[in-house]
Amino acid sequence: MKKIMILVLALLVVLTGCAGNSTKDDDENSDKTLETGALLHTVEEGKFIVGFDQDFPPMGFIGEDGEFTGFDIELAKATAEKLGYELVLQPIAWDAKDMELESGNIDCIWNGFTITGREEGYEWTKAYMANQQVFVVKADSGIKTKADLAGKVVAVQTDSAAQSAIHADKELLDTFAELVTVADYNTGFLDLMQGATDALAMDEIVARYQIANRADADFIVLDEALSSEEYGVGFKKGNTGLRDQVQTALEELAASGKIAEISVKWFGKDITTIK
Amino acid sequence: MAITDILLALSEAFLTTVNIFLLTLLLALPLGLIISFGRMSKNALVRNIFKIYISIMRGTPLMLQLMMVYFGPYYLFQIQLPRGYRFIAVIIGFVLNYAAYFAEIYRSGIESMPEGQYEAAKLLGYSKSQTFFRIILPQVIKRILPSITNEVITLVKDTSLAFVISVTEMFTQAKALASSQFSMMPYILSGAIYYVFNFIVAAIMEKIEKSMSYYK
Repeated sequence: MKKIMILVLALLVVLTGCAGNSTKDDDENSDKTLETGALLHTVEEGKFIVGFDQDFPPMGFIGEDGEFTGFDIELAKATAEKLGYELVLQPIAWDAKDMELESGNIDCIWNGFTITGREEGYEWTKAYMANQQVFVVKADSGIKTKADLAGKVVAVQTDSAAQSAIHADKELLDTFAELVTVADYNTGFLDLMQGATDALAMDEIVARYQIANRADADFIVLDEALSSEEYGVGFKKGNTGLRDQVQTALEELAASGKIAEISVKWFGKDITTIK
Repeated sequence: MAITDILLALSEAFLTTVNIFLLTLLLALPLGLIISFGRMSKNALVRNIFKIYISIMRGTPLMLQLMMVYFGPYYLFQIQLPRGYRFIAVIIGFVLNYAAYFAEIYRSGIESMPEGQYEAAKLLGYSKSQTFFRIILPQVIKRILPSITNEVITLVKDTSLAFVISVTEMFTQAKALASSQFSMMPYILSGAIYYVFNFIVAAIMEKIEKSMSYYK
């Protein structure tokens, strides 16, 4: 019995020791280290893996042709082209986004990713779009202001900026009957449509696109916004090399007018803020 | 998007679902048998190790297990695994989980075998392994087939959990299409595809059951 325990323990020690050694070797050989921020480091040589939420039109979703499309997807495509990387679009579960980024399965998170409130968690590019978190309600609900939300059931997406913004506003949160989380905005809108929830707090840009495209019910956006914020591209803490590369690419795209072109295509006008 | 386009997109993703389904079955059915032997072992240590294994696998959510298998190597051992690991992690997670359930089903079948079978086999001169594989196992299979069918059908639907580690199978695709098309149609269509597939599986299992009830 004792012998078996000692053997098992010894095995474990050896295994963890080996594991530690092999990652160190990798660091020296393939520049994949994420300690030295000066180097360029993508998780896979030559590929730029973008993690995004595929249930998030118009930023990232599946288009009519069955391919991924959206404002952020197109911007990422243009950026990858400029940097000479092969773009790999990786849809992820939004609440696993941090784990995916941390464990090196994606290079960055890019889809309407709000910087505000998350500044310390990631390496950010400068903001490329301004946005507000707003409340969406049914047109006939009679809710017109934030005060009207008292005693109502409000929904947010799990791990979203809207969720953080509401939690930061204790006074407002306390007036709600309940704060419900949904996994994606499609479910959120379905809940709203059938009256299971009274309001949905989300990004204004996405809200307006959704409302314009949903013919089966009438929604409005409350004039009083929840919070103002900015979108950026998030990289793993320490990965300043890749971040700086992407930042430069974005600035070049802005200068050449490409970003404005993409913005007009999706939103009718240039609402980006990169100079 | 026309219904045919949606169906096409869903069917493509369904291949991933079927892939996960077949691989899991292929690996979990034999593994379950081994685990059930361990669970029924006369050695208390072995028996308890397997008991604990089954208890953990059945007692924690499959979604959590998938996340552990996928993110575990990095967070616990700092090992960076290649991108292809996603799918492998799904298979490992599913196999480990379903093998535990299958083990208990096998055990229920094996332990319900009357002692008389073993006695008669001994009298006839069968060795232990001959007894098991020629006399006991066929009877066990007949007995547990309905339970196995249950688990198999549950497996098809559980594949939708693969999305928690970002493996796109049919339900994920349906979700993404529903979001981009602002309609429920993809969900309904995916429900139909699941049903047709499960219908076929159940029909096949029933055929097998009939063909094995040669004494009736």
